This record gives sequence, C-alpha cells and structure tokens, in this order.
Amino acid sequence: MKTRVRFAAAFVAAMTLPAGAQSLAPSPTLDAVRARGHLECGVHIGLPGFSFANDRGEWAGLDVDFCRGLAAAIFGDPTKVRYTPTTVQQRWAVLQSGQVDLLSRNTTITFSRNATLGVNFVGINFYEGQTFIVRRAARVTKPAELDGATVCVAAGSTEERQAADWFAERNLKVTIINFQRNDDAISAYDSGRCDAYTAGVGALAGQRAKLRAPNDHVVMTELISNDPQGPVTRWGDERWQAIVRWTLNGMIAAENLGVTSANVDQMRTTSRNAEIRRLLGADGNFGQMLGLGNDWMVNVIKAVGNYGESYERTVGRGSALGLERGVNQLWTKGGLLFTPPFQ
Amino acid sequence: MSAPIALRGWSLWRARLFATPLDSAISIAVLLGLGVILQPLLIWAIANASWSGSTRADCSPGGACWVFIKARFGQFMYGFYPEPERWRPNLFGALVLTWGLAVLMRGTPRRGLIALVGVIVLPFLGLWLLYGGFGLREIETRQWGGLMLTLVLTYYAALIALPLAVILALGRRSRLPFLRLLSIIFIEFWRGVPILTVIFLASLLLPLIMPSGVGVDRLARAIIGLGLVIAAYMAEAFRGGLQAVPGGQAEASAALGLGHWRTTAFIILPQATRIALPALTNETIALLKNTSLVLVVSIFDLLGIAQAALADPTWVGFQVEAYVFAGAIYWVLCWALSALGLLLEARMAEGRERT
Repeated sequence: MKTRVRFAAAFVAAMTLPAGAQSLAPSPTLDAVRARGHLECGVHIGLPGFSFANDRGEWAGLDVDFCRGLAAAIFGDPTKVRYTPTTVQQRWAVLQSGQVDLLSRNTTITFSRNATLGVNFVGINFYEGQTFIVRRAARVTKPAELDGATVCVAAGSTEERQAADWFAERNLKVTIINFQRNDDAISAYDSGRCDAYTAGVGALAGQRAKLRAPNDHVVMTELISNDPQGPVTRWGDERWQAIVRWTLNGMIAAENLGVTSANVDQMRTTSRNAEIRRLLGADGNFGQMLGLGNDWMVNVIKAVGNYGESYERTVGRGSALGLERGVNQLWTKGGLLFTPPFQ
Repeated sequence: MSAPIALRGWSLWRARLFATPLDSAISIAVLLGLGVILQPLLIWAIANASWSGSTRADCSPGGACWVFIKARFGQFMYGFYPEPERWRPNLFGALVLTWGLAVLMRGTPRRGLIALVGVIVLPFLGLWLLYGGFGLREIETRQWGGLMLTLVLTYYAALIALPLAVILALGRRSRLPFLRLLSIIFIEFWRGVPILTVIFLASLLLPLIMPSGVGVDRLARAIIGLGLVIAAYMAEAFRGGLQAVPGGQAEASAALGLGHWRTTAFIILPQATRIALPALTNETIALLKNTSLVLVVSIFDLLGIAQAALADPTWVGFQVEAYVFAGAIYWVLCWALSALGLLLEARMAEGRERT
C-alpha cells in the first residue's frame, strides 16, 4: 500500500517536473561525503589570505571559505569539513586517488591540465595574474605608466620573461634588474633599488605585508597575464561538479543580488525578486535538483557570506593583505566575476 | 718531550690561548671577531627583542619578535592537536623519559626486565594515547604536528629501523646465499633511493595503486618509508660492528658449547653494538633531521608548522624568528641524542676496561 502511494507520488512528480530533471544520476561523491559525515577539501599548504592556519589552529582564507561554504550547502554546517593541505607536486595525485572530494587551492586553470589530468575546473573564484607593486608616493596606477622605471625580478622566472615581453611589445623603456631569489628581489625593492617589483597579484598582496611599511606600497589591479584559479573536481561525477559549480555561482549571484549574511533570512521571506527567491529556496526546488536541501544557499551565505564578503574578509580590505577587488569584481561593476542566471 | 702537566681553570686557558705573543694575538683577534658577529645577534635576539604582547603591533622594529613564537607556541609544540587533549602526548613523553632514566640509572631494580617491557609496551601505549580509541577521543594524524610530530616520527621510525637493521646485517653476513642476496638487495635498494623520493612515492603512488577503500594513514606511510631507508643505513653500521668482532670470539663461544643463536645474541651482537654505537648515534641524528622531509607531503612537523605559521597574514614576514626558534630546538634535540650516545658508549666500555 505504502509503496503504491510512493510510486503514484513519483509518477506525478515525474509528469510535472521539466523533462530531464528526473534523469539526473545520483552523485557517488555526494553519497560518500554524506556517509562520511564531512567534506574532504584539498587546500594549499600555506598561502597568506587564501589558505592558512590561524593562531587557534583553524584553517582560513578565500579558498578555505569555499570549502566551508560547500560543507554548509551539504550539511547546513560549515564546520563539517576537514582539510588536507597539499603541495604543488601532491595536489593532482591527492585528488585523483580520491583522498579529497575537491581541490580549492590556487590552481591555475589551463587547457592541458583539463585535457590530460582527468580533472574538471568548475569555475573561477580568483582571477590571478601578474602585476606590479609600487610606492604609493610614485602615483603610478597602471603597468603602462612604468615607462622609464626599474623593476626587480627573480632571474629566470616566468615573471621576468613575461614582464620583459609585455614592455617590449609596447615599446616601453623599462630596466629589469635580476636577482638570484624572489626574497632578494623584494628586499631590493624595499630598500629603494627599484621602482617596482613584479609577481602574481595574490602573492604580491602577501609579500606587501613583509615590507617595512606595507601601507606605503600599492599593488596594481591591472594584470599583464591571465591565470584564473578555481575549485577542481575529478572526472566522472557530473552531479558533484554541478553542486560545486553552482555553490560558487550562488556566492557570486548573492553578491550581485545584494544578498548578504546579514540580510539573508529577511531576503528569503520578504524579497519579491524572482531570482533571489529561487536562489534562497523560497520558490522552486533548486536545492533538491542538486540533491541538497532547498535552503542550501541560505546556509552557504550564513556561513561565509556572499563572494564579496568572503573576499573582503580574507584577502580584501578587511584583511592584512588589503587587496583591491580589481578584476575580481562583479561583471556588473566592471570586473570579470560572472555567473549564469539561477533559472 | 716533557710529560703533559695537569692544568686547571685559568692556567689551562692561558696555556692554550696565550702561550706566546703570536698565540695571544690570534686569540684576541678571534675573540674580537666573535664579538663582532655575536653582538648584533644578541642585540637582535635579546636586547631589542619584543617579548610581551599578543599581536604584531606589539613588536618593535630592529629586534626579534618573540611575541610571534609565544602566540604560536602551542602549534609549534603540538600542531593542531586539540588543546584539551594535549595531556596525552605530554604523558607519553613523560613515560618514555621516565623509562629511559630508569633504564640508565644503575640503582634501578630489575633493569633488564624494565628495559624489555618498555621496548615492547611503550610503542603500543603511545599509539593508543596519541591516536585514541578505546575510551579516548580519536585524534586523526592530520591534527598531529610540531615538535611532538618530529619526535613521534623519530621514535617510531627508529623503532622500525633498529631491529630491521640487526636482521639485515646478520642476513648480509649469513652463509645462506638466498638470505644474503635478499639482504643485499634490500640494503642496496633502500640506500640507493633518496629519502625524499621514498616519502613522495609512499605518499602519492601507494594510494593510486592500492584498491580504493584500503587506506594506510598518511603519517604511517611516511614513518614506514623513513624507517626502511634508515634501517638500510643502520644495517651497514651494524655490519661494520660485526666484522670488527674477532673471529676467535665465536670460536671460543662454540668451544664453550653455545649454539649459533646464543653465540650471536650473547657474544657477538653486544660487542658489535658497542663498536657500531658511534655510527648508530650518527644515523639516529640524521633520522631526526630527515624527518623534516615529510613537509613535501604536507605533514606539519616542527619545520612545517613554522612555515605554516608564516602563511598567516597576521604573522607574515617573521621567517627569521620562526627558523631561529625551530633551528634552536633541532640543535638541542641533536645535542641530547649525541650526549646519550656518548653516555651509552662510556657505559659499554666499562666491561672492557675491567679485563
């Protein structure tokens, strides 16, 4: 009797749901995460602002925030995640062998990695790229204004070649001074030997804190290279990829729609914007379509906030790194950060 | 040549450093040089250093910021081991120390028995105390770290290496060709592979080859890898000891009616160990320092936790303090091991002086 009722209910549901929704395969990764009782997240072994252990021994940072958000989406509890710190050499093997459910660790998305490593890049949570740090007093804001300047770099690094090419292409007379190691180059910059020092924008923000007077220096927001980074999953579990992708998209959408950790409950009950209502589960069953609860994004936003809140707290103005949003700003505000609609 | 005169205190130093005008000049120059080097170091480390406070704002420029070490001290010692449970590694450490002292002290009754029981029971007791289960809260090995992890790695890797090394050394000198070949292959293989590679393969390749679900703990893999490599080195130290024991010893033992195993256990091995001891101390110190290689597979030993602390934006830029602190601890540990080695050598030499 009971089974017949359930069957009838399933039949009705199948008829009323849009085509395709009922054919979604279950996600083995999600099942494993649920059975285990926690998410396994592969993070960077230590990168200021992105992934580090604080004085209390808790992991924090922009990439760690994403792990916490995903745990909140699945369990409604951001603490149900355990971290596996990984080095550059380890990261792929740790993901491929199933020791972690995803990597969220400053990994550049490239064609060859996607095509050969059996991994999927599900989105971009940080547009990394090479840029310059200069003295605030110099009033230089763009790389193109560095004409006539001297730049310190580590000899033989990718940054050296990239900077040289970039300036040569634009016919800018920039003197590049080589140093044996990165640390030598940055201390030479600090002591006034050069007008600028170059590295990835995320790394520069961390290194700025090492300078004698961090506030006298600014990291430029215009990038001369393109190294987008984001969470990585294994091939073979499309449902899981969808969960990770739309959790990231949800954080970006929340910022664009003005949903914050402070107003999320109120927005859910009072907002009349259709997309906000779908995102927060007031209308429709978007969470269920992914195999999660309909309040999944509410939990994410309550745990780590929308993308902007997470950014400002970990690498932005609320942190010791003090990084500007730059290209990591919403597409509606002149940045590159974009999400497809929640429809 | 006159016989050396026993000199003490100041007169000894005067004789050594200021015997001739040239000697005096060299000594003064060296002392001045040391002063030039040490003075800024002491000013940085002590005089200008900041000791109190809890944030980077409490640190004055120009001196060491020990506030950083203070804020992170718990992590430097225990890694991410939960604070309310830290009595467990403390207790285990105290037990091992007490056992070691009891075995070293001459007055202890039943020393041999205590030594044997400790060797067998302590490792398992330690595993239970540190990891938990059976009534204790389970603490995953990924939460272990800092000095505690460095010591755990050294202790357990040495525990694997020492007995294995004896077996391998005996195997390499065995008359059975198969056993000899096996030992040689084992020793030459593990000695020929860099430890870094071993740790790396144990950590990365093993999980890819093994069927999913069969997981050996990350830390256990690193310990076993380290233990196998060090065993190969120690085996050669033991072999040196075995070869230095005069053949007459075995013959005399046989003449007294002792069989092969008893001859090996009671006549040959004790003498071989005494000869091999300096080399074994050396290997143990090398092992202690090699444990820091586990950093490549993201296990936070003392050095790893120091580097991890530097990734915290609140403490970015204090690398000198972190490395000086970690280096000082390594130095104290290595010095303690070396002192233990000398003490054991002196103890073992007593038997010989009597004859």
